[in-house]
Amino acid sequence: MAGLEETIGFTEKLTGSKKREGKDIYPHEDIYALIEKIKEGDREAFMTITSLYQKRVFLLAYSFFHNREDAMDIVQETFLRLYQKINMFKRGESFKNWLLQISKNLCIDYYRKNYGKSRELKSETPVDELNLSGQEGQNPEVSSDLRTIFSAGIKKLAEKQRMIFVMKHYNQLKYKEIAEVLGISLGTVKSLHYKAVQNLRGLITPYMGGQL
Amino acid sequence: MTECKKIQRDLVAFLYGELQEDEKELFKAHLDQCPHCRGELEEFKKITQAADVFKEDIDDAMASVDWEALPSKVSENILRKDARSRQESWLGKVSGFLFPPRLRPVYAGLLIGAVLGAVVTLMVFRTPQPGEINGREYFASQDFLENVELEMARRDTLDYLERSQYLLLDFVQSPSERSVDFWQSEYAAEQARDLLAKKKYINPQLDKFQLAKAKAICDQIEFLFFELTQVSVHLSVEEVNKLQRMIEDRQILLKINLLKKELERHNEM
Repeated sequence: MAGLEETIGFTEKLTGSKKREGKDIYPHEDIYALIEKIKEGDREAFMTITSLYQKRVFLLAYSFFHNREDAMDIVQETFLRLYQKINMFKRGESFKNWLLQISKNLCIDYYRKNYGKSRELKSETPVDELNLSGQEGQNPEVSSDLRTIFSAGIKKLAEKQRMIFVMKHYNQLKYKEIAEVLGISLGTVKSLHYKAVQNLRGLITPYMGGQL
Repeated sequence: MTECKKIQRDLVAFLYGELQEDEKELFKAHLDQCPHCRGELEEFKKITQAADVFKEDIDDAMASVDWEALPSKVSENILRKDARSRQESWLGKVSGFLFPPRLRPVYAGLLIGAVLGAVVTLMVFRTPQPGEINGREYFASQDFLENVELEMARRDTLDYLERSQYLLLDFVQSPSERSVDFWQSEYAAEQARDLLAKKKYINPQLDKFQLAKAKAICDQIEFLFFELTQVSVHLSVEEVNKLQRMIEDRQILLKINLLKKELERHNEM
């Protein structure tokens, strides 16, 4: 059962030690106080909130687009919306989830507007021609090809599956938080996450050969 | 196999630590006795491991952003955009009030009409009208102007000759008993006065253009009219008849006709 133990260790790694922006570490009362100040037009308070949450928003957008400029646009737009809609935020809600909800909506709108129906990654090399026969780490080109393959695979996922995978894997949000951000049930999140990984497996495995 | 299906749905949740404790125990118990599900777990694990290929990219992207400066930049952009959107919303409200959507076709029609009207007006005022030629914008050569003046002189002379001819004809053809009173009649007196005035007007033109023949006949006519209007009161019937005969003898009417034809020929040329 060494394999299972190893898997459990890997699970802990996925969920715990490598957590980037996990819990909402800032006391709610402090956040609410800042929000009240923003409502009164306090620029410093707005900048404080921005500095607290900017990385989280960037991480979500970057994981979704795999493009720095797109992610920066989303960060700007998210905080603009935050400023415009701050009066709609209700005390008692999770500010982080509310903000990520804005960011998620912007990501989806931006993606539909700028990338349209084309879900294929704009890669110079066709996916079929990529070399993945070697071992990862031994050859930088292989690693780059794996990145391309995986990027193409993620972009082929349905919007919601993709968003859930990104939120879970890169933003390391809990299912509960994802459910809140996306406005769906916990069971649906779990089911869509499973489908996302299963679809990725179907999309990626044919190109991976013996690499994994 | 049904249990495997159910368990497999929890595979991803298990990998990401999202199973409850009791679910986790059941899951582990199943894996202990199911090599197929263990194999599936390994496959899923590989996929999630492959996803880590981006973590390096994410770290690089995160490191490339100046996080300290970003809040200030975002805040400035937002204040600028917000000011612009407020202005746009204010303008939007005003334009919405002034130009409600249902009236927009009407406004569009009025605007098109106004533009067309302005264009037509501009074209009309820009087109030079007869008699509105500005001296600075009009050019004519000296020859052309002289020709025009000569033509005018000819026409005036023709007019003078024609009217004189009719008046003399009336006088010559009037019965001898009435011929004395002819020049005292209001019509003849007025005509004669007009013709005398006209002669004074055409004199300089006749001199200028050297219409000597015409001038000679016109002088004779002038003299005749002068005499007839001034002297006829004191003349007897015989003397007036003598004058009538003199006009016929001298063929003044014929000369007038010939001169007219000559002038008309020049006109046609």
